Amino acid sequence: MTALPLVRQWEVMRAVSVVTYKEWAAYRTHSLVSVFVGPVYFVVQYFIWTAVYGGAGTLHGLELTQMIRYFGAATLIGYLTMDFADWNLSMLVRTGRYLTFALRPLHHRFFALSQKVGHRALGFLFEFLPCLLIFVLLFRVDMRPASAGWLLVTVALAFLMGFYVRYCLGLASFWLVDARGLQGVVAILSGLFSGTLIPLVFFPHWLQVLQFFLPFQYMLYVPAMVFTGSYSLGSTHLSIPQVVGCQAAAVVVMFLLSEVLYRAATRRFTDSGS
Amino acid sequence: MDAVAVRRYLAAYRVCLRIAVRQATTYRASFLLSSVITLVGNLAFPLVTVLIYGSGAGFPGWTADEVLLIQSVFTLSAGLSGLVLGGVVFVTMDRVREGTLEIVLLKPVRPLPFIVLTTLQPESAGVALGGAVLLGWAASRSVHAVSVTGVLSFVGLFLAGLCVMAGMSLVMAATSFRWVGNSRLPEIADSTRTFGRYPLAIFPRAVQSVVTFVVPVGMVGFFPASALLGRSVPGMWPAAATCVAFLGFGVWLYHHQIRHYQGVGG
Amino acid sequence: MGSAVEVENLSKTYVTYKRKGLFRREPTTVTAVDDVSLTIEAGEICGVLGPNGAGKSTTIKMLCGALIPTSGTVRVLGYEPFRERRRYVREIGAVFGQKSQLVWDIPPVDSFLMNKAIYGVPDVQYRETLDELVSLLDVADKIEVPTRVLSLGERMKCEFIMAMLHRPQVVFLDEPTIGLDTIAKAGIREFVRGMQQRGTTFLLTTHDLEDVERLAEHVVIIGGGTKVFDGSLQDLKRSLGETKIVELTLAHPASDADLEGLSVVGRRSDLELTIEVDMALMGPAELFATLSRSLEITDISIRELPMERVITEIYTSSRR
Repeated sequence: MTALPLVRQWEVMRAVSVVTYKEWAAYRTHSLVSVFVGPVYFVVQYFIWTAVYGGAGTLHGLELTQMIRYFGAATLIGYLTMDFADWNLSMLVRTGRYLTFALRPLHHRFFALSQKVGHRALGFLFEFLPCLLIFVLLFRVDMRPASAGWLLVTVALAFLMGFYVRYCLGLASFWLVDARGLQGVVAILSGLFSGTLIPLVFFPHWLQVLQFFLPFQYMLYVPAMVFTGSYSLGSTHLSIPQVVGCQAAAVVVMFLLSEVLYRAATRRFTDSGS
Repeated sequence: MDAVAVRRYLAAYRVCLRIAVRQATTYRASFLLSSVITLVGNLAFPLVTVLIYGSGAGFPGWTADEVLLIQSVFTLSAGLSGLVLGGVVFVTMDRVREGTLEIVLLKPVRPLPFIVLTTLQPESAGVALGGAVLLGWAASRSVHAVSVTGVLSFVGLFLAGLCVMAGMSLVMAATSFRWVGNSRLPEIADSTRTFGRYPLAIFPRAVQSVVTFVVPVGMVGFFPASALLGRSVPGMWPAAATCVAFLGFGVWLYHHQIRHYQGVGG
Repeated sequence: MGSAVEVENLSKTYVTYKRKGLFRREPTTVTAVDDVSLTIEAGEICGVLGPNGAGKSTTIKMLCGALIPTSGTVRVLGYEPFRERRRYVREIGAVFGQKSQLVWDIPPVDSFLMNKAIYGVPDVQYRETLDELVSLLDVADKIEVPTRVLSLGERMKCEFIMAMLHRPQVVFLDEPTIGLDTIAKAGIREFVRGMQQRGTTFLLTTHDLEDVERLAEHVVIIGGGTKVFDGSLQDLKRSLGETKIVELTLAHPASDADLEGLSVVGRRSDLELTIEVDMALMGPAELFATLSRSLEITDISIRELPMERVITEIYTSSRR
């Protein structure tokens, strides 16, 4: 792979993300569904945990306010980091349109990442911002991050992590006729183990330890905990720089895995053309 | 509808059922997998309950088994309504977007029953089954005195809950006539239903009234489970009447949108 | 001018698996392309003809660098397509009739900008090329509206612009006119001709004989993975003779004696006959005279030989 000069890469990313933004802007009212759904789930979580805490001070080391802030952050970070890279790539492979990318001088993963940038820019405007305003102005939740700088880094890493995981899943379509089953299984696992439903410290100890070796916590739990300002999992307490370092290492591993799979997929594609 | 028409719909229903079952058995592996995935997805909330109680906390006045009973009733209700009406939103949406609703309107049948017939979702059988098993398990641990009135109230309220589920599917499907191609519409119904998964008392009064008498999603899990547990909740039966009215509203709205669609031609 | 494309002894075999029982799979080798050689001169339009499944698409994919040959060599513009894919694909363009590059929900012009960035086309060159292509294809008022509202023909024209913004020297077209109406086909053909006059080399696959007749001076026919014909359009016509298919609808059923001297190849009913006529031996006037002597005809239509027949004809004569 011959690396494009940085300026060219930037131009490609800008062009592709602008196109993706325009493409999805036609459906921007659809993302307004999130402006209803996000606050509704948040409100339910708020009442659940307010009732559950009752008089208790902390559960698994988390205070009620930290818990509420956790769910607020988890909802909002989700809007900044979600994507359908797996679904997109599967569709290209299934319809044979992947060929049009094989015939253009760029790495498809870079194209897909640029698409995600455009798509999430839209998510930022039409999902993240309105929900943030609702949380802060209507629900009066304190949405100030413990450290804005670290939050920025960890959300950027989560953005990449989610992308590489789903891109790898999409690459599976080069081998599987129907990758939907696999995608469904991973979607369930990531729903459970990314921390969307409940902070991971509520899981049995061995499951918590296992999470260090799975990609899911780096997609949501880590950035949401960095937002609240303290992180622990599997009885291990890590400082913010330490956990973001772990996350960065996980992103590198996932990136390398995606490159290995991409090369294998390219070999398979150029071998069978399917 | 006369007897002949009813017989015709039943015959059509049998054919559609057979097609659905045959499709499911042809793609056995992927059918089983998607059933399991849907089931596991539906069991996430009971899992969270187990984890909360596992941490030594809980909802005041409710044991873990009792909360699981609410959520198993909810799961059973979601499974059964998904089986019959699960696809109605997507089928309507696709037909409106592609402009193929006319094909349905060309057929000598009423559009709503016809669309319902053709949207059977066999995958939801797994959810219903999982919900039923969980219900049996949670009931055996939390219902200490089974009374005839308790069971009868449960059945009545559960059916009312199904009306709410059906009504919500129809409202969403009707909305898809106006909000064309929005594949995220069902999320609105899903999120709203969440209120039925928990003891009502954890919510403020205003929210309780809304989910009892306006969008009566409390009927999907909470009310029937309470009846089975022998806990009487004020407003239970008037709420059941609201549920039937809600279904009526869904049917009316859907028909209204179809008539509108015929008027403007999509 | 030298040759733009040189292909020698190109072959491609796939291994597919047939499921036997629950776990056992039996490998079978399928030869999609078998020992094909061809040369395309720079500035030429070469038409590759063949029925579905003949190996046309496999060949074109190997020439584009999207598929690795099992054996044989390919050189296009001095590149070995697969070895130097990224550098190579900058120099070529490709339009696949059924695989769109355009983004569905936005105007084509926005998709163009995306390819401009991907190929790194400088601003000035981009504007010049776009203006030229747009006026040649006559789609000035179409490129600003969302792709989804365009007709198939307009969309295909925009696919051509998308594929040629970076001024490729060689352009591969796979079934570029598939599904288009006559007017749209004519527009596309005129454009390809125009670009050829500006020096672009084209290789197009098609199963539409008319594409080849209108465009290509160089014709290659592939059947069953092997090359069965390679020559000029005139050579092809000469070797085929002037055989045409004539469909007749009769007023009364015809007896065998009535049909003396005609080669009947199909009989849909007593009143509907298909005959084959070699126009080189029997001109139109003579044909009508023969027909009207013994038959009362209510309808007549004359067609070209269908592609499949052309292939078998060529194929059997190449074996002889």
